[in-house]
Amino acid sequence: MGKLRPGHFVEAGLWLALAAVLYIYSFDFDQSIEIYKYGAVAWPRAILLLIVIAAVGQLLYHWKSGDEATSGTIGAATDDGSEEAAIESGHSSIQWYVSTFVLLTLPFAYMRLPEWIVQMFSLGEGALTSTKLICAALVIALYVFMMRRNHVGGMLALPILFASMLEDMGFYATAPFFIIGVMFLMGERRPKWMVIITALILGILLFLFVSLLYVGLPTGNIHPFYDFGNWVVTLLQ
Amino acid sequence: METFSNFIGGTIALFSDPIGILIFVGGVIGGMLFGAIPGVSMLTLAAILLPFTAHLSAEHGVMLFSVIYCTGVYGGAITAILFNIPGAPENAPTAFDGYPMTQKGQAGKAVGAAVMCSALGGTISAVIMMAATAPIADWAISAFGPPEIFALVFFGLAVAASVGAKTLWKGWLSILAGLLIAVVGLDPVGGIERYDFNMPYLLAGIHFIPTILGFFAVSEIFVQAEKKATGVYKAPKVSVDFPSLAELITHKFAVVRSIVIGFFCGILPGIGATLAAFMGYNEAVRWSKDRAQFGKGKLEGVISSETANNAATGAAMIPLLALGLPGGALTAMMVGVFQMHDMEPGPLVFINSPDLVWVVFAAMFFANASILVIGFLETKTIINLLRIPFQFLAPMILLLATVGAYAVRGLVIDVVVMFVAGVLGFFLRRSGYSVAGIVLGLILGKIGEQTFAQAMQMLHFEWSGFIDRPIALVLIISGLLTILGSIYGAFFKKHHSVDHAAGE
Repeated sequence: MGKLRPGHFVEAGLWLALAAVLYIYSFDFDQSIEIYKYGAVAWPRAILLLIVIAAVGQLLYHWKSGDEATSGTIGAATDDGSEEAAIESGHSSIQWYVSTFVLLTLPFAYMRLPEWIVQMFSLGEGALTSTKLICAALVIALYVFMMRRNHVGGMLALPILFASMLEDMGFYATAPFFIIGVMFLMGERRPKWMVIITALILGILLFLFVSLLYVGLPTGNIHPFYDFGNWVVTLLQ
Repeated sequence: METFSNFIGGTIALFSDPIGILIFVGGVIGGMLFGAIPGVSMLTLAAILLPFTAHLSAEHGVMLFSVIYCTGVYGGAITAILFNIPGAPENAPTAFDGYPMTQKGQAGKAVGAAVMCSALGGTISAVIMMAATAPIADWAISAFGPPEIFALVFFGLAVAASVGAKTLWKGWLSILAGLLIAVVGLDPVGGIERYDFNMPYLLAGIHFIPTILGFFAVSEIFVQAEKKATGVYKAPKVSVDFPSLAELITHKFAVVRSIVIGFFCGILPGIGATLAAFMGYNEAVRWSKDRAQFGKGKLEGVISSETANNAATGAAMIPLLALGLPGGALTAMMVGVFQMHDMEPGPLVFINSPDLVWVVFAAMFFANASILVIGFLETKTIINLLRIPFQFLAPMILLLATVGAYAVRGLVIDVVVMFVAGVLGFFLRRSGYSVAGIVLGLILGKIGEQTFAQAMQMLHFEWSGFIDRPIALVLIISGLLTILGSIYGAFFKKHHSVDHAAGE
């Protein structure tokens, strides 16, 4: 078996699966181009082939030398300690990966679910807004429940969750909660400081981008949030 | 002489333009601060600023990035010396001898040496850059066609793959992942849709700005979150004093050697300032008579690494401006600045916009020189700024990135793509892949495929056509030798590399 761990197989498997899936999809655009003999698929397929070679080479290397760095590379020169942090913090157990994966799917659930529910039960257009609000509440509740036990996973998922709600709830209503969430996940527990810093960050950001540079941030499109966003914008400009 | 008058012209253009001065000063201070604060780097700052350079002129945008590059490389030296926390990887070897000097009560001298040597290495490198770039670009215009550019991209990727990742294979997988992202969208010859999965968003290709923001700014925050770096340091009192002239003269060989090493590291694609610092330090140890003193507070260690990393900055601009080929993450972002203004970096920039080139060159020269002034004035401010806990900095950086990604095209999906790239970057980094490799692959992938297609059409699909083109042939052979050499090294040699000097 050499020095292989299950993680090495997962790593190689992910690359090979990626290559296989993209190879299958490459038939979708397998068209010839009159002036170009190799067509549209030669370049991506060559990359996929090289990925397969590199993934297999990597597996063989792990089999022979384990996790050691190769001598031809100067990887350690740019090492930022992210690997050590991962090993020390114990965030490499299967439970951690599962919980993080679930956390990461939450935002995508919010992006898809409301439309599906409305279609499935053939509810009217008007029902979409309330469905979205209910889904948002559920997703956030589930997120908070799971995040308490997995701060790093929570940190990875929070920005995507924030981004997934930008379209509907707008930047102005969600950003304060996002700032407080990030501070909480990074270990801040003093409410006074959280309020001060949130106000400070939003003040600087909104003054700079909305008042000075007129960057239009998403105001949201669901009733109370949309009005709130527009109210803030008129206040600032 | 023409170079000199161009330089004067660039200087006048730079300092007669109030907005230009403002951007220059902002870049100098910003680069230094982001370089100094552990957990963020000049790449974070550059990624955050990238979307907003659309509002600046191309000249100002590129100038801003080159200034950030120069001072950002220096910024981390202060924290490396005082707290043994290099603000950025390119200052890591500075800590090997800088921190022991602080422990011996010689912090002032170490910081002073870092300031002087950074300024010296950087300005000399800038001077060589000014003299060398235009002739290289002139030569490239007549000698470089699509086959040569493709060969150069190939060589660049081959070198880049063997740097930055934990193993050779991970280096290649990083590059290939970047190349794969570049495939999404329309193919360069026939305009055929590739990997769009029926989503209109993917049809236009994955935009490089959210990707770069995610890989550099966002994943950095995630790595810090996992380390739970609180960033509260006990700030020691520090004064800055110049090392005496006599001391510097005794180290003149170290300075010259580091400039040469730094310059060559900078000019090669994929290597850049970090490796320059390590190589400079490594060679200092190797050439020294009393090697045992290194790592125990030897001034020469600080001098070697700080001179080398700044010497790499000017050199890195040569392949970018003369050949259009970015060698590292920051120069790849500069390509982004050019592209946002519908320009391509490369030899033609010298003909079409010589003003831009010379303003950038002058700005780099003065940015390096200003390290000397600001380095002395700002050291205490930087120490105080380090007291800002990271949990206050993190939401600010994430929101700046959000605004930046959204502002490019007004699409919320760009923000989602950025954060997903951040999560991917986080997992790739902790498994030893190189995010810089991915971004380099992403930027060079489009250039590579396009020039490959043009080269093949030019050579009537005969691969043997490369043999008749000596420059392309040499570059391809060098690339192949690099790959073979690193495979040989990976399989047959014992674990020996630059990190050996790091005492790991």
